[in-house]
Order: sequence, then C-alpha cells, then structure tokens
Amino acid sequence: MSEAAPLLEVEDIAKHYPVRKGLLRARRIGTVRAVDGVSFVLRRGETLALVGESGCGKSTTARLVMRLIEPSAGRIRFDGQDVTEARGGALRQLRRRMQIVFQDPYASLNPRLAVGDAIAEPMAVHGIGTGTERRARVQELLRLVGLQPFHAGRYPHEFSGGQRQRIGIARALSVRPELLVCDEPVSALDVSIQAQVVNLLRDLQVRFGLSYLLIAHDLAVVKHAADRIAVMYLGRIVETADKRALFAAPRHPYTRALLAAVPRPDPALRGRVRPIGGDPPSPLDPPPGCHFHTRCPHAEPVCAREDPPLRPMATNGGAGHLAACHLAERLPPVPPVAAEAISPTAARRLALFTGARAAPEG
Amino acid sequence: MSATVPDDSAAPPIIETAAPAPPVRAGLWRRLLRDPGTALAVLAALLLVGAALLAPLLAPTDPYDNDLARALQPPGSPGLPLGADSQGRDLITRLLYGLRTSLSMGLAAVLLGGGIGAAVGFAAAYWPRVDGLLMRLMDVMLSFPAILFGLALAAIFGPGVRAVVLALSVATVPLMARIVRGSALVVMRQDYIEAARAMGMSDARLILRHLAPNCLSSIFVFATLRFGQVILLGSALSFLGLGAQPPEAELGAMASEGRNFLFFAPHIAIIPSVLIFAVVLAFNILGDGLRDALDPRLRI
Repeated sequence: MSEAAPLLEVEDIAKHYPVRKGLLRARRIGTVRAVDGVSFVLRRGETLALVGESGCGKSTTARLVMRLIEPSAGRIRFDGQDVTEARGGALRQLRRRMQIVFQDPYASLNPRLAVGDAIAEPMAVHGIGTGTERRARVQELLRLVGLQPFHAGRYPHEFSGGQRQRIGIARALSVRPELLVCDEPVSALDVSIQAQVVNLLRDLQVRFGLSYLLIAHDLAVVKHAADRIAVMYLGRIVETADKRALFAAPRHPYTRALLAAVPRPDPALRGRVRPIGGDPPSPLDPPPGCHFHTRCPHAEPVCAREDPPLRPMATNGGAGHLAACHLAERLPPVPPVAAEAISPTAARRLALFTGARAAPEG
Repeated sequence: MSATVPDDSAAPPIIETAAPAPPVRAGLWRRLLRDPGTALAVLAALLLVGAALLAPLLAPTDPYDNDLARALQPPGSPGLPLGADSQGRDLITRLLYGLRTSLSMGLAAVLLGGGIGAAVGFAAAYWPRVDGLLMRLMDVMLSFPAILFGLALAAIFGPGVRAVVLALSVATVPLMARIVRGSALVVMRQDYIEAARAMGMSDARLILRHLAPNCLSSIFVFATLRFGQVILLGSALSFLGLGAQPPEAELGAMASEGRNFLFFAPHIAIIPSVLIFAVVLAFNILGDGLRDALDPRLRI
C-alpha cells in the first residue's frame, strides 16, 4: 500500500439532533449525539469497516460522509476536496465519485423503474454517454454482477433479495465511483447469499481499485471483507486497528465483548461465553467519563470521571492501532476463547463438511 | 492488496442477445373485474361516460327544441319514452346533454383541483420547511364548505359552470394535498429516494421520476372517488341556481327545475336525480374497487 494521500479523511464529525418539546414555543430539552466526534482515514483500495451495535451511529456516519445529511461539526475531505463545503456543481461531481449501497434490497430499488433504467439512472443524471452507450453499459454491468442482459427489462419485484442487492451494486458502479459506501450490504440477506455478495464486492474491489467504507454489525462478514476496522460505541470510535491486530489483540473491553459474542460452531463453548449485560445508554444522556463504563467489566473509578482519548497502542507491529480506554495496558490478556482448539470430534466433522463443500465446486 | 487502476476494459464483452422480456404486469383489469360489484360499476361508468361523449349522436332531438304542446308529458307518451319537461323538451336528450355537462364539470374540477392539490402535497412532503405552512393553509381551505365557495365565486363571476368548476376545484385542492402528502411521506422514507439523492439528482427529476410514480395509485383512487363526490356537489350548486343556467342542461339544474312540478309530473325531478345517484354510486364503487385492486397487500 503506497503512502499516497488518503481518499477519504473524516475529521471530528458530529451529528447532533436537538430534541424539542412544547407546541408553540418549543424548548430545547436535550441533544441526541448520534455521532459525536468521529475521525478516520480511508486509503485508496482499502476497506474500512465500521462496526458496532444498532444505534451506535454507524449508518449516520455513512450518510454524513455521503452528505445525505449535514454534519453539525467537523470536516470531511474526499481526495483532498472538502465535502462539507461543496455546493451545486462541485457537490454533484463529488457525488459521482462516491456511491452508496443500501441495506434493504427491497427498499433501495424503485418498484416502478425497470432494472435497466435504474442502473442507467446515475449515468443519465450525470449526463454520461448517449442512450445507446448507456444501454450497452447496463448490459456490461449486469454481466459484471452476475445477472443476464435480458434482466434489464424486468422490474425489481421479479428478483430475489440477493439479485436485487447486486442490481443495487451495479447501479452504484455505473458511474465508475472511487468510493463505495456499503451500509450493511448483506445483513438483510440469507447467509448463503451473503457470501456471494461479499465475494462480489471483493472481486469488484480488486478489479476497479474501489475503496469501501463498510458498515456492518456482523463480525464474520467484517473479518472476511475488511482491511481495517473501526469499532463504534455510542457515537464514538472506541478502537481502530488493522483487522489482524484487532482480532488478535483487542485493546478495548467493548471490542473484546463484541468478539466474544461472535457465534462459533463449537458445542463445547456452550454456556461459556458471557455476554456483556444491559443495553447501551441513551445517546440523549450519555454517561460521564468513558461511555462504556456502565457496562464494562473492568471499570474503575477513573472511568466514570475522565473521558478516555483515542490513543495509540503499542502492539506487536500493528501501527495505527488506537483505543480509547484508560486501562488498555492493564487489561487482563484476552481469554483464549478463540485460540482454544475445538474438540477432536467436532474438528473431524468440520473438516468433513469443508471437504464436502469444496468438492462439487472444484 | 492488488489495487488496479479503475478501468472497465477488463470487463467481459457486451453480448446483445435475448430481447428484453416484457415485465409481467399482474393484470389490474383482471383484479378489478374479479369483484362482481366493481365489475358492474366499471360497466356503469363506461356506459355513462360513453353516453355523455356520444350525446350529440345518441340524442333523438335537439336539447333546446321546446314544444309547449308536449310539456309535462309523462314517460311512455308517444315519441317520448321518458316524457318531456316543463318546456316540452325530450327528457332523454336533456339527460344525455345534462350528463355531458355534469361529467365535464366534475372532470375539470378533479383535474384542476387535484392537480394543484397533488403539487402542494408533493411540495409539502419533499420540503419539510414549507410543510407546516402549506398544510395549515390547506386546513384553512378545508374549513370552508364547498357551497360557500360556490356562493362567493358565483357572486364574483356570476353564476355559471365556470364558478361551479372553480368552487369544486378549490374544495378538492386541500383533500388531494393531504392524501398526496401522506403517501409521499411514506415514499420519501424509502432507500431509493436516498439513492437518488446520493446520485446528485435534481429535485424536479426526483419528484417526477421517483416520488410521483409511487404515489400514483392513491392519487388515482382518490381522483375517482372525488369525481363522484364533485358531481354530486356540482349538481347541488346547480340545484341552488349557482351553476348551469337555463336553458343549458345539467342534471342538478334539471332536478331543481322539476321541483316545481313534483305533484303533476314527478318524473322531471326524479329521473335526473336517479341519474345523479347512479353516477355517484358507480364512481364511488369504482374508486373503492381500484383501491383494493391497487393495494399490493391484497394481491394474490
């Protein structure tokens, strides 16, 4: 990876929603801090995954990057150009270079628009090519995402969820964007279809040098698809690191809890994974100090007083490993849940299964 | 990580085979005609509209051809299957032309009022900043009865079809605006609207291409229902003497005229009233049927 200028730089962005009460003279009674000072950098050709529970502000961050909603504070630069300040023509130009893939394949396609028209629409909006050229490009894109050219004349309701998601990807790719924001691209799909779509996204990345901002809550998907991971909790990034470093040596208790919650196909682990209790606190009234201290198994008095900054961790070779925890250095080592070998019989069954699955494809 | 330069030349060649298969339109007509009541309403509406359109061809005489010798003839008199009115004009002819006037008044009011109302509704749903203002304005309009508008407009322009059409349009605008705003707000929450925004699409294009088509079924249903109501209202205004002026034929005006002869020749008032009833009923049932047929949840 070259050390060229990053494609996307997000600096301390925030989105605060005022909460008002009263009919005629609405008083402001509080602020929902959906996103509260998030910074990250996305390099060209890289996949950065934003993970976290529902309501932690991942999707809001994605929409802020796309400028589908206006940030309350902070700065977003795309290829050195300020997205937050862009207006009119400049904003349209930027919109061509970054596209979005949505979570719900049933809501993201206009039911009244034939698939070919939907895919051609971004090109039409940006005045790219003639009608004939666009039609040719639609056919090309359909093949690219594994559909047939004659599907262009069909309507969304005639497709399955996975197919629709691929149509959504084709639509996003039609204007040759550089950044693709994928907002939970597979979480609405069957597990078998998820793999197809994740692999498609990966192939497309290699082929076109795309950069992905991947929003996800499924760590299995993230482990497969991402290069770097940023973990969000209550509107903030609590830990960010290379995928390997994060999975091997998570430094924030929340990240550890998330990793421990990943289901593993090992019956011996049944009953041994202890989830963190409780719900995330309301973003309307976040706790003082570290936002996570209310649920943290390691919390100390300092956690309730001081807000831990996101600071570099000295890990084995993992440069750019940041975590926001006062106790990061003093935390007990990761319980070796992941490392623990599964029972020999389970391993044999798993091997048989993998072998059987690989055989028909080979 | 082997990132390549963005270049699609590596993409497989374009193949142009297999003509696009036509979309399978789950037949609206079939679903509409499945319910016998709705099928009957469709038939009645078609007959009524056809009769109004072809009035000059179907009418046995001229609508203004009066012959006082035939005045107040009851139905079944020689040459007058439905009788004659107080001026001795053939009632069948008068009904056909009256239907023509009533239906075109209704159509004009629904197109004008519905069009403006839909535009207001889309604007309110699309720009939250003007939503409150527009909808409070609609509430104010809603609080005036249509008859009052009719009276006011008749006072300004003088009684006539024009005043009635304007009054009915004004009475239709807020209703249509509310219905369109409601369904547009639902559509606005869909991801494809956000996708269109992310493309950098202009507001006008977004509304026309993504918002409006997905609200069309509720607009269509309401326009049909409103058409029947508006005809009834228009007839009421004409009955009060604000609408079509004699000798022009209009169903409400005809009923009003027949009122004076209710004891001697009840058919003059009753027959146009029955026709009004039939028109309103047909379009109401048709509107209900359309709503059911267009509702995807009821699709089998």
